[in-house]
Amino acid sequence: MDLDSALWPKDVQRCSFPKFMIGITVVTLVLIWGVYAALLCWFKGLNQTNMNDYYGFALWIWADLAIIGLGGGAFFTGFLRYLVKKDELKNIINYAVLIGFICYSSAQLILGIDVGQPLRGWFIFWHANVHSMLTEVAFCLSCYFVVLCIEYIPLILENRQLDKEPFFHHLSHNMHGIMAIFAATGAFLSCFHQGSLGGVSGVLFGRPFGFREGIFIWPWTFFLFTWSAAACGPCFTILVTKLTETISKKQLVKPDVIDLLAKISGWMMFTYIIAKTVDTWYWALYTAPSKGFNWAFFYSDNAFYGPWILWLEIVICGYIPAMLLITKKTRQKNATLWTAIILASIGVCVNRWALVLQVMAPPVLPFDTWALYIPSWQEVATTILPIAYGVILIMISYRYLPIFPQERELNPITN
Amino acid sequence: MENNHKKGKTKKFGMVIDLDKCTGCGSCMVACMSENNVPFKADETDKRLSITWMLVYKFNNGKAHPNYDECYLPRPCMQCEGDHGHSPCVSVCPAVATDYSHETGIVSQIYTRCFGCRYCMAACPYHARYFNWWDPAWPADMEKYLSPNVSPRMRGIVEKCGFCFHRYQLATDKAYYEGRDELEEGEYQTACTQACPAGAIIFGDLNNPEHMVHKIAQPDAKHHGRPKNPNAFRLLERLGTNPKVYYLSSRKWVRDSGDNYRPDEK
Amino acid sequence: MKIDRRSFLALSIGSTAGIHLTPLPWKLMDDSSIWTQNWPWTPVPKDGAANYVNSVCGLCPAGCGILVRKIDNRAVKIEGLPGHPVNDGRICGLGLSGLQMLYGGTRVKTPLKRTGERGAGQWRKISWRKAIEEISNTLIEQRKSGNPQALGAICSSDQGTTSQLLSRFLNVYGSPNFLRTPSVQSSYEMANALMNGSPKAVGFDLENADYILSFGSGLLDGWVSPVRMIRAHSIWQDEKVPVVQIEPRMSHTAAKADKWIAIKPGANAVLALGMAYVIIKEKLYDKRFIEKHSLGFESWKDEKGRPHKGFKQSVIENYTPVKVSAITGIDEAIIIQLAKDFAGAALPIALCGSGDGTAPGSLNEMAAIHALNALKGAINKKGGVWAVPSPDYILWPELEMDETASKGIQTERFDGAGGKKYAQARSLLNRLPEVINASSESPLQSLLVYNANPMYTMADSIAVKEAFAKIPLIVSFSPYMDETASYSDYILPNHTYLERYEDSATPFGFTQPLISLAKPVVKPLFNTKHTGDVIIKLAQVMGDQIAKAFPWKDYLTCLKTTMGDKWKTLVKQGYIVDKNHKAPDWAKGFETASKKFEFAAKAVNTDPKSDVIAPSELKPADLEGDAKAFPLVLIPYDTMRLASGFIGTPPFVVKTVGDDVLKANDSCVDINPQTAEEFGLTEGDKAMLTTPKSEVRVRAHLSEGILPGLIALPRGLGHSAYDKFLAGKGINFNALHAPKADPISGLDTTWGVRAKISKA
Ligand SMILES: Nc1nc2c(c(=O)[nH]1)N[C@H]1C(S)=C(S)[C@@H](COP(=O)(O)OP(=O)(O)OC[C@H]3O[C@@H](n4cnc5c(=O)[nH]c(N)nc54)[C@H](O)[C@@H]3O)O[C@H]1N2
Ligand SMILES: Nc1nc2c(c(=O)[nH]1)N[C@H]1C(S)=C(S)[C@@H](COP(=O)(O)OP(=O)(O)OC[C@H]3O[C@@H](n4cnc5c(=O)[nH]c(N)nc54)[C@H](O)[C@@H]3O)O[C@H]1N2
Ligand code: SF4
Ligand code: SF4
Ligand code: SF4
Ligand code: SF4
Ligand code: SF4
Ligand SMILES: [Mo]
Repeated sequence: MDLDSALWPKDVQRCSFPKFMIGITVVTLVLIWGVYAALLCWFKGLNQTNMNDYYGFALWIWADLAIIGLGGGAFFTGFLRYLVKKDELKNIINYAVLIGFICYSSAQLILGIDVGQPLRGWFIFWHANVHSMLTEVAFCLSCYFVVLCIEYIPLILENRQLDKEPFFHHLSHNMHGIMAIFAATGAFLSCFHQGSLGGVSGVLFGRPFGFREGIFIWPWTFFLFTWSAAACGPCFTILVTKLTETISKKQLVKPDVIDLLAKISGWMMFTYIIAKTVDTWYWALYTAPSKGFNWAFFYSDNAFYGPWILWLEIVICGYIPAMLLITKKTRQKNATLWTAIILASIGVCVNRWALVLQVMAPPVLPFDTWALYIPSWQEVATTILPIAYGVILIMISYRYLPIFPQERELNPITN
Repeated sequence: MENNHKKGKTKKFGMVIDLDKCTGCGSCMVACMSENNVPFKADETDKRLSITWMLVYKFNNGKAHPNYDECYLPRPCMQCEGDHGHSPCVSVCPAVATDYSHETGIVSQIYTRCFGCRYCMAACPYHARYFNWWDPAWPADMEKYLSPNVSPRMRGIVEKCGFCFHRYQLATDKAYYEGRDELEEGEYQTACTQACPAGAIIFGDLNNPEHMVHKIAQPDAKHHGRPKNPNAFRLLERLGTNPKVYYLSSRKWVRDSGDNYRPDEK
Repeated sequence: MKIDRRSFLALSIGSTAGIHLTPLPWKLMDDSSIWTQNWPWTPVPKDGAANYVNSVCGLCPAGCGILVRKIDNRAVKIEGLPGHPVNDGRICGLGLSGLQMLYGGTRVKTPLKRTGERGAGQWRKISWRKAIEEISNTLIEQRKSGNPQALGAICSSDQGTTSQLLSRFLNVYGSPNFLRTPSVQSSYEMANALMNGSPKAVGFDLENADYILSFGSGLLDGWVSPVRMIRAHSIWQDEKVPVVQIEPRMSHTAAKADKWIAIKPGANAVLALGMAYVIIKEKLYDKRFIEKHSLGFESWKDEKGRPHKGFKQSVIENYTPVKVSAITGIDEAIIIQLAKDFAGAALPIALCGSGDGTAPGSLNEMAAIHALNALKGAINKKGGVWAVPSPDYILWPELEMDETASKGIQTERFDGAGGKKYAQARSLLNRLPEVINASSESPLQSLLVYNANPMYTMADSIAVKEAFAKIPLIVSFSPYMDETASYSDYILPNHTYLERYEDSATPFGFTQPLISLAKPVVKPLFNTKHTGDVIIKLAQVMGDQIAKAFPWKDYLTCLKTTMGDKWKTLVKQGYIVDKNHKAPDWAKGFETASKKFEFAAKAVNTDPKSDVIAPSELKPADLEGDAKAFPLVLIPYDTMRLASGFIGTPPFVVKTVGDDVLKANDSCVDINPQTAEEFGLTEGDKAMLTTPKSEVRVRAHLSEGILPGLIALPRGLGHSAYDKFLAGKGINFNALHAPKADPISGLDTTWGVRAKISKA
């Protein structure tokens, strides 16, 4: 019997407490490194980064957008579970919510470090400019974060010891009862902020690489971002689930649940990538040329921002995973499923990379030069910080909360 | 008395910079720094970390000797109006820390409002916006030369040229005390205009047909202020930023360097 | 237990909710943001009453008028003075940055006496009285030993009351060794004296010329009077006056010129004479001027009856376009066209003097180009080169010399200027290292340095340092801790130009006689003293004839007395100008024996077979270094973005320097892509640049704007003195430079040195 076994969910096996603590310690060291870097950025200022006046948005903003994309599994799974009534998904929704919570809290943390004057961060609400994508993002992001908290709290309350408290028991029970409303709110808010994030570079009419015109800014770009998050987010949820299974050496979710989510993702991805192709095609054929650029110009200067990005994003991390997930055979084969969910997760990251970093790189003034940027260790550490934080939260949550309803059934304790 | 202070017509302050005259001396840059309490640091050679509200670009025609030619181009903030009523940078600022004044046509920057998200910098195709990556510091006794008309900016926020707006305020204050509601053309001039040894910068109200800037640039109201003067051009006209800074050059390759053209357009 | 926990939870939830309903968190949030708007370490400039003071910029010899905006007692902005004849309200970057010099960290705040090794930076504060006493004791001692000529002074100018006080001090002490830092002015004056016979200063009527031919003068790169030149350029633009720039590298001047003619370095004189060939052949010259007002155009015989070739004959014999083309690297057709364009203009002017105007054979070059002007009569004519009378307001009582002084002053100058070999020269500071290093005991035992920084600005830094090390006493008057001040024994800091009265006379190149008065914009910030006061004090402490030569209570009294009835106007307006001054007409303008312009100045003819302006030997000037070991030529260039000589570049101006000139602490050198390829260099590469004198690390900047085979390095960098905003940045050209004296003038060859480059 372990020290903390009284806190474990009922009838499940966890690793020994010392082993758990060693794991936690290792990740905490990484976390502390990240926190130290973050404190440097707060107290000494953003000169600790390698950002500059050309690269005002850089590594961690990319990470920010990427994790918001990846965290899209939460809203979309919730949407499917509560609104589309895909009941099987109740077996993965908890984890989806947890991953979403991690992603969104990290995103907020990063924004808190990224802005030059964090103590004035609330001006975005107080002096809100309705024309700004960021205002919309900030509002919806914060609201959605509250929703995620509300979705996460009942999970915490389900801890075996907390649950013994009648107040908590009832609270969590009642919260579960009304979860559909929050899921709906969450889905709505998510659609908005994902969409506005998509608009962040799309509205920059001074940046022909990111700029989209006509219907390609509204609703197309908005739609693309929401859609890609909805498509790739669940893949990321599956990916993390599968990783957790691999590490814990247990099956935690039944294959049919995963299969369902993967199939839906597959179709989402497929439709998304067609839309993305149309978007890219229109941009390359009409938008960029009308500003005086050949589309190839934006991929011409250096290996860093070469045409491989386009291939990687659209074909390798777009069509390929979509096909793998749509096709029953490949979806149900472990190796190809892994391939697909990894590619899909990378895909959304590459997309955000292009729309954050690559937007900054090419010169707009004809007599200017390309800008390249390499992050400082402080940025890398600060960007890794949320990953460490996420791992810790997953470790703790998994150990003490009944995240996976099917775990008991799939892993009966024999002795 | 009150009657003398009716609200004047809306202004659209702008510049014409004559690239035939500009010698690339850099006085305008220094004039701006010394007028506007712009900070400096030990190493300013990383130009992407160096605050220069006014920046003189140097570029060439890409040809080999003897056909090689160079040009210098001073770049303040263009005070873009946007073809559709939105300045690139203003519309994106989530906190309304930068704003377009319909009274003067000047894009303001409110330092105490800005919280440093840098979205506006990403939006500005002219790189006219600068972030305070460091705390500004004036060594030795240099704080003594700081002008009280322009507040020094704190670390973590964005700053840029505002056509020396404080000079507009000083000039209008003076006019007010003297019971006038219109400024003479020369009364409000920016620091860079005043300093330029070449007299290459001309400043005034583009809406006022009496003003030199209007006469030279001949802004076409039907086409978002596009210049009718064949030697005049604006930077990145095709992006639809609708800038208020016009350039003059008698050299075609220079005018052609003001915007992007696809190889098949040339 | 249960109740406890429950109530604890209720309490915490309740209080969290409660606190949020109180104004506290909102207030804190608000306060914290207000705090960020008032960070105590971000200064808030104090407001006060605005007022303006007019004065004169003291940062370069141009002497622009300035208007300084003040808030109470603080100077907050320097602007150009509207109406001032030189700059009319305009101002350059350096002038705009003056307040950074005034309030900056490189000021010497009190008199200092060296305690450690020379140059080690160890100083002791010393009182003014004590410092003057100690220095005067040493000088008295030296004088007693019968060597008053062992006292020298270096000064950037010999005009103005302070320089004149210093010069007067040297005279009455008994030393002829007053050294003026060489400049384009030195060479122009020499050429002017020889050909016009005029001791007068030179003025360029650029604003009225209708064709500008510049032999490498950086008209828009800081030449002579930076603001005035740029203003003139705008006039040329408006009036469509053609500007032709002849130089091996595309400077800002060349970039703005209508024509940039890339010439091989050192071939200016040859090109000028090649053009003369065409003009003479085609009879395009001004016949009235040549026939009536010049001498030596045609061949002549001297008193002893020896035949001399006239200008025409030497040029026709030697300077055929074919030959000239081979040496200059310029197409024959272009040379011919250039000559025709120049001669075809009504009011053309040819200018020369790059850098300090002491290019190899500089006197030949000056004379050749002056002759080119003469062919078009562009001398003392609208749009041409004028003789401008020196202002003669300094009329002090005749000196009473004691015996020591009378003897000392008769001795030959240690630098050889005015002596047998360099009869034409007035001062040859550049020879100081050579002379001192050649003798076991330095001919200069004491040296006063005023308004000059020779340890930085003189060529061949190592030899210069060696020479200065041999001078037992060095006194600097610099307000800033510059290289020479750092290497001196005493620093007696002057007020800066914004804290003192100072007169200056017509700046070089200006056509209207002008006197300007700088006045204190702010009260002296530190324990500094006007150098004029120090000299007067020093003299008075030394007593006898020396004291008598300085009858003024202090410098201000001296200045007021000197100015007489001009004083009031000067204080009020800042300057007095003779706007109506016109060039003397041809009949009266020349003070040679013949009262004519003389093409062949006999005085310079050390070799009777050659004539100064038409050397029969056709080749570009020689450079130091072996052409095999050093296949390239390194040339310096100046830019408006760097204060080249007069003062350390202030932080604002350093900020304007491009990253193709300075990258981190590396100087970038311009190099043609073709040459770069030969030496395996690509853009931004670190490289070792070697000359016979030194090896340094630089970065390559590839540019089509420089001829192959050359490397160009900007001047004004590589300071070891000043603060972190300047010190240690880049390379000082002088460290690499091997000077070569012009055989006639004795001035330096400063335009280039042989070099090689390799990837680092
Ligand atoms: N801001 C500022 N302005 C200053 C000064 C300062 O300290 N600060 N100092 C003042 C002083 S004292 C001076 S002397 C002037 C100096 O100012 P300039 O006379 O302008 O000096 P440079 O730039 O050295 O020389 C001009 C050009 O000559 C070219 N050149 C080099 N060698 C040759 C050659 O053999 N033939 C030809 N035809 N061209 C050649 C170079 O490429 C260069 O572009 O600046 C004055 N102005
Ligand atoms: N590296 C380099 N060497 C050069 C040149 C160059 O551009 N670069 N240019 C050459 C040319 S063209 C020239 S004319 C010479 C110029 O050579 P110098 O005449 O030696 O000129 P500066 O370096 O200007 O020296 C002026 C020094 O006087 C001090 N000073 C300034 N104001 C005052 C004052 O009011 N009172 C006193 N007492 N001191 C003052 C400053 O500290 C400054 O360092 O150098 C030549 N050598
Ligand atoms: S001050 Fe005038 S001439 Fe100099 S760079 Fe600026 S615009 Fe050009
Ligand atoms: S130049 Fe840039 S900062 Fe200025 S108004 Fe235009 S977009 Fe905004
Ligand atoms: S950095 Fe400041 S001005 Fe720019 S968008 Fe953000 S809040 Fe607005
Ligand atoms: S207008 Fe004023 S703020 Fe703008 S660049 Fe010129 S001096 Fe600077
Ligand atoms: S040109 Fe010379 S005198 Fe005139 S402002 Fe500039 S530094 Fe001062
Ligand atoms: Mo000079």
